[in-house]
Amino acid sequence: MALLEIRDLSVRFHTHDAEVHAVSDVGLTVQPGETLGIVGESGSGKSQLAFAVMGLLARNGQASGSVRLDGQEILNAPPKVINRVRAEKIAMIFQDPMTSLNPYMRVSDQMAEVLVLHKGLSKRAAVAESVRMLDAVRIPDAKGRVRLYPHEFSGGMRQRVMIAMALLCRPKLLIADEPTTALDVTVQAQIMTLLSDLQRDFGMAMMLITHDLGVVAGSCSRVAVMYGGRIRELGPVGPLFADPAHPYTQGLLSAIPRIDTDEGELAVIPGQPPDMSRPPQGCAFGPRCAYRRGDCDHRPPLASFAPDRWRACFAPLAELRAGTETHP
Amino acid sequence: MFAFILRRLAVAVPTLLLLIVLSFLLMHLAPGGPFTQERALPPQVLANLNAKYGLDDPLWRQIWNYVYGIVVHFDFGPSFVYPDRTVNQLIADGFPVTLTYGTLAFLAAVLVGVTLGTLAAIRQNGWLDYLAVGISIGAQVLPNFVMAPLLVLVLTLWLGWLPGGGWSFSDPSFWIMPVIALSTSYMASIARITRSSMLEVLGSNHIRTARAKGMPERRVILRHALRPAMLPVVSYLGPVFVSMITGSVVIDIYFSTGGIGKAFVDSALNRDYAVMMGVTILVGALTILFNLVVDILYAWIDPKIRY
Repeated sequence: MALLEIRDLSVRFHTHDAEVHAVSDVGLTVQPGETLGIVGESGSGKSQLAFAVMGLLARNGQASGSVRLDGQEILNAPPKVINRVRAEKIAMIFQDPMTSLNPYMRVSDQMAEVLVLHKGLSKRAAVAESVRMLDAVRIPDAKGRVRLYPHEFSGGMRQRVMIAMALLCRPKLLIADEPTTALDVTVQAQIMTLLSDLQRDFGMAMMLITHDLGVVAGSCSRVAVMYGGRIRELGPVGPLFADPAHPYTQGLLSAIPRIDTDEGELAVIPGQPPDMSRPPQGCAFGPRCAYRRGDCDHRPPLASFAPDRWRACFAPLAELRAGTETHP
Repeated sequence: MFAFILRRLAVAVPTLLLLIVLSFLLMHLAPGGPFTQERALPPQVLANLNAKYGLDDPLWRQIWNYVYGIVVHFDFGPSFVYPDRTVNQLIADGFPVTLTYGTLAFLAAVLVGVTLGTLAAIRQNGWLDYLAVGISIGAQVLPNFVMAPLLVLVLTLWLGWLPGGGWSFSDPSFWIMPVIALSTSYMASIARITRSSMLEVLGSNHIRTARAKGMPERRVILRHALRPAMLPVVSYLGPVFVSMITGSVVIDIYFSTGGIGKAFVDSALNRDYAVMMGVTILVGALTILFNLVVDILYAWIDPKIRY
């Protein structure tokens, strides 16, 4: 059975003058222990998808559909239920480690409260366990530094603290929302290595949200490509990267700058992402698509075209593959 | 921290001296004097009075004698208008009164204001929010010179529950109306500051983290949000506390409480130089002290602040 099963998940935000369709009809599963990558550009709805799963949407956000964790429905669950699930079964780490830790509390206090609350540990035992977890995320001198405040750590160290805090209750699923975006490149690599090591050691599944395709290639088994709040392509990382079946995936891959060619210009996807307060009737990528055709005025459904591979596009695969060969 | 407090206290001395000199000069610049009356005194009488109180000395000598008296004897001089009373006595009589009702009003304003503001923020745009904002706007637009007569009308004249004025340290029924009348508008301001600051904190990333950790909402508010949300409130409270414990002329007159709020205004109208100076120094010293307290509280709330 899938660990996490998302069905028909939609997220709407009610603003002063419009209803923003941040996420529409998303269906995904995460198997125990696997790493699912979710990629897409800013505003594609990937973070809101994660917030909806965690029940952390902003006040004007409304989620509908179904999110099941171990068979238990958690979408729009009562606070008591969702608070038990959070930290114990699903934990989340965020993009900005500088502001995601509480600057007014010692690291020991903010870590220990998780164990005191969820596991009923004494304060002393909780702090000891926190130190062990800080050791596990390779923070040097964890015992001495557990009593410091977050501002006394560097950015990379703070993200390690965040990770340690998220893993305290040994969750089955870790949602990492752009965990390395705010960090230096060298630190990024360390954090990604750490996350994969911890994932293996703890046997947990991970949902990795990122716009960095390199990170996805390095650590995910399957990947979902999101655009305009919908999944456009879904499949195992290797085949999806080698043989993208959606023009948007193709565009994303060809927009990666390559160091081994001498081409001066960076490839871009022409046009702008859609305004999700007025979602288009047809394919949201249509206006930017080189393979646009008549039936693109209707919305393409996400359909399986090969074992374990899904795409939402009307363009014939042969045409797409020909395109891949002409502009790599 | 200890060195910081010492340093601040050391700076307080020249600040107070400057305050004394400036208010002394301003006071003497104002037309009239303590012995100016509708019917002019005979010149000889005036000269004798001026000589008795040292008002014929050059200004610098008057200031010097005044400061000398305070520093060496802690003597703030005699009242020029009530010859049988010293400033020390006037303050010793009036200050405990305003300190009592001022402190109580302060505590009431902080407790009610912070609670109201927090509840409003948690239930933003809900009925509780509108109710809290409504109450605080109501309290804000009812100044104490309107509150005071309203209270007397209802609680004394209609219901007969409370004495309409006067003061007794042993009978709290005398305290209630001054406390309510003084605290309402401050309470309203505190509620509004708390609400907006709480809303800002509740939108911050570390609150989202606390929720992601499965903390119950109650703990998120009380343990994670309240402390940072108090920073702007605390900086507002320092000066407010001083102005509350040094009393309000409206309260003192309306409820005949005999506090120094009335004494201060009377002294200014009567050009009672010594009383004016005494109360000014009291307010100045308290202001310096409580600004220091605010700074210490800041460092206690926010660990990033180190002195």
